[in-house]
Amino acid sequence: MNMNMNMNMNMNMNMNMNMNMNIIETSGLGKRYGSTWALRECSLAVPAGHVAALIGPNGAGKTTLLNLAVGLAAPTAGGVTVLGGWPAGSLAALDGIAFVAQDTPLYRNLSVADMLHLTRNLNRRFDQASAEARLAELGIPPKRKAGKLSGGQQAQLALTLALARRPRLLVLDEPMAMLDPIARHDFMATVLTAAADDGVSVVLSSHVLAELERVADYLIMMSRGRVQVAGEVDELLASHRVLTGPAGEADRYAERPVVHVRRGGAQAHLLVRASADDPVPPGWEAHPVGLEELALAYLREPGAAALPGPARGRTLPLETGQPSEVTQ
Amino acid sequence: MTALTTPARPEEDAGLRPVPWRRMAWVTWRQHRAALAGVAALLGALAVYLWLTGLQIHHAYATACHPASSLACNINFAGRYAISVNILRVLLQAVPALVGAFAGAPVLARELETGTFRFAWTQGFGRWRWTLAKLVLLSVVVAAAAAVFSVLFSWYLQPFSAAGYSIPFATDVFDLREVAFAGWTLAAFAIGALAGMLIRRTVPAIGATLAVYAGLALATALWLRQHYLTPLLTTKLNLPASAWIINQWYTRDGKFAFPARGSQIINALQQYSCNSSQLSPPQCLTQHGYTWWASYQPGSRFWPFQWIEGGWLLALSVLLIAATLWLVRRRAT
Amino acid sequence: MAIDKGNGAPGGGAGASPASGGLYSDQHLRVSDAEREAVSGRLAEHFAAGRLDRAEFDDRVGRAMSAKTRADLRGLFAGLSETGAPAVPELPRGGGGTPGGGPRGPGSPIEFRLDAASGVPTYLQLVQQVEHALRLGYLKPGDQLPKVRDVVASLAINPNTVLKAYRELETKGLTAGRPGQGTFIQATLSQVALPELAGLRKSLLGWLTTAGAAGLDQDGIVALFTSALRDFHERRGDTGDRRGAASGETEGVA
Repeated sequence: MNMNMNMNMNMNMNMNMNMNMNIIETSGLGKRYGSTWALRECSLAVPAGHVAALIGPNGAGKTTLLNLAVGLAAPTAGGVTVLGGWPAGSLAALDGIAFVAQDTPLYRNLSVADMLHLTRNLNRRFDQASAEARLAELGIPPKRKAGKLSGGQQAQLALTLALARRPRLLVLDEPMAMLDPIARHDFMATVLTAAADDGVSVVLSSHVLAELERVADYLIMMSRGRVQVAGEVDELLASHRVLTGPAGEADRYAERPVVHVRRGGAQAHLLVRASADDPVPPGWEAHPVGLEELALAYLREPGAAALPGPARGRTLPLETGQPSEVTQ
Repeated sequence: MTALTTPARPEEDAGLRPVPWRRMAWVTWRQHRAALAGVAALLGALAVYLWLTGLQIHHAYATACHPASSLACNINFAGRYAISVNILRVLLQAVPALVGAFAGAPVLARELETGTFRFAWTQGFGRWRWTLAKLVLLSVVVAAAAAVFSVLFSWYLQPFSAAGYSIPFATDVFDLREVAFAGWTLAAFAIGALAGMLIRRTVPAIGATLAVYAGLALATALWLRQHYLTPLLTTKLNLPASAWIINQWYTRDGKFAFPARGSQIINALQQYSCNSSQLSPPQCLTQHGYTWWASYQPGSRFWPFQWIEGGWLLALSVLLIAATLWLVRRRAT
Repeated sequence: MAIDKGNGAPGGGAGASPASGGLYSDQHLRVSDAEREAVSGRLAEHFAAGRLDRAEFDDRVGRAMSAKTRADLRGLFAGLSETGAPAVPELPRGGGGTPGGGPRGPGSPIEFRLDAASGVPTYLQLVQQVEHALRLGYLKPGDQLPKVRDVVASLAINPNTVLKAYRELETKGLTAGRPGQGTFIQATLSQVALPELAGLRKSLLGWLTTAGAAGLDQDGIVALFTSALRDFHERRGDTGDRRGAASGETEGVA
């Protein structure tokens, strides 16, 4: 049986060393503004070749983390490296990362063609032809001023400029906040097609959970400046279940790594860290968990965490419990 | 294995060369062409005025002012043009400040205010190189334009100087002359750039630039400029008109008597009835045993002073721009 | 699934068919298992539609399964031509019996859709849709599955999800990837004796009638069936994907 993974790729299909690198790696990263810590003790190892979703409520520290990763802010504590070890903000990092900030900043008075010219001048690589083709496809006229485009068009323009730089990592900070559903779909389709065609890694932050399951295969959840959950989506979903059973027995499972409990009068649902192989207690039912349910449960339990073990590597085995951090 | 392959990149990171500097020429032009156009318009309009009236002045001087002290010169030349020249000299004081503030402050303030720095400073060119290229390009252009303009102004002023109606060290003229004018414009630009980086809002940065510039210019004119070179001392009563008298005082018997201003000299003049005589106060008082002293800068020091002023303004500008760059490099958000 | 009315994938499949002009020119060519199964599948459709009775169906399927050359397969569709296509079907595709008939354009015959609210993981939905298409005949051996980037572009899903689905299909032996070209169907689903299938369906309907008479509503039936299926697989020691064990039925519908 042919196990060739590289289907439908146009480019040279060599599995080079870059496959094993971490696209973003932080250790004890922290950022303080005045006397508040916007981000604390953040240790991540996001592998390359994934679409990573960064979710959390407003004020959780998502923008801070992204700003640190792209070099717009300097850490107060710890460090961050990107693209397999380059310091954030270094020339190599700037070259390989394209960033679209919140509210897609563009020069409002410049025309679309001028924005292309500008971006081309400021970067080593720029695929003018594909950018122009893409803009024509989207129906964005080159002579119009960027400020006069609609919200969706501005987002697509910013994305086109970013992708024309042929980055290795695309970082998007809440890119779809101002977009209607069709525009959101088109935007994500463009991002994911770039990931499929060119192997671009993507990190995008959002507080819209519903679309993430289709889109993300790596999840980072943040709450109050700390990382709560980090891992591949498949592993996270495989390592959590919902146990449904009699409410009276719910407390019996105090020692198990329970993330979240929801009770009715007679029935309780426990979201636990357990895999499909773990035995189900008699009288209880086990269900698999969807990403949205998982994310909501963790968001409701700020003390809970599902973080990878200390071994830093591409495949991060999820540990089944850090009991001291888990609440019932 | 769930990840996609990352195709091999043709260029390796090891030999990462920065994006060439010349790319910033278009970027700077395109982003600041409005400001540059404004500067060009302002200087251009003034230049046209200077050119047209300057021709008239030169013509009037050539026809009426030989000799310069004749009555014809007084009427046809000084009387007609002196007022407008004096007004112009005052108005032109604002030009370096305006040019510097409106060209310099928005460079960084607008990026920070509108959030576009999140775009510009994550491009491959790099944050501080981007800032350096812009500031250097703009400051060179602005200073060069100012230098050209001031040459035109000097030409415009030349008949007045020749006729003795304007001394080179006059406060409101010195800083409009060639080197000093370029220096002041450059300094205003540098102040604007730093203000933009510190204040992060365009309009307040412009305001702050104008205020700081005004303070600096006043301080220089009233106090600093005199001290570039140690003033000469003299007791000669008939100094040439081009000399810049800084201080005057009287001594008697080798001891300080009183300064040439104030209540003491007024009393002395009354005492010796100098007011009713034909003599000037120094001449009158000298006859009564006082020695008149003056500290001054001779007219020959005009150009050294221009270079000194230009020099320290240049050094200040470089310092301010370096400070701006350091701030840019160090922090953004 | 959207029915792609285009022509079949270019350059695919075992034994590219002659155009209608060369009806009898290939009658000496050997036929493959795939072609035999494909013919059996089409015969089953005609049987289900009622054009053949049981005896005729059994007979024709038997002849199809023992055919060696195309000439042997000739005549199996006697009297069954629906679209005016020639009596010998253009193997392995084209002619009558294709749902939605007509010529197929370049690209994949099928198009994926996504039911975001179904609770079924995305990759599994894709796998199921391919299997479903195979069963119904939208996909035949040699057809090309949609390119990964096209699926990503139209559904806005993670490319790794599509890759995972395609890998799953390869593991099941249904598809094969050709480097630089794409993923192609290489087998049909084991059409476990189509006559048996019809029989199973009949007995299932019987059971459903009994269950309904006993008072179970639809959800109760699904729950009962799902748990019985799970027990059955556990007893059989099935090591397949637990979540997918019921071929798409969600576990533990509460």
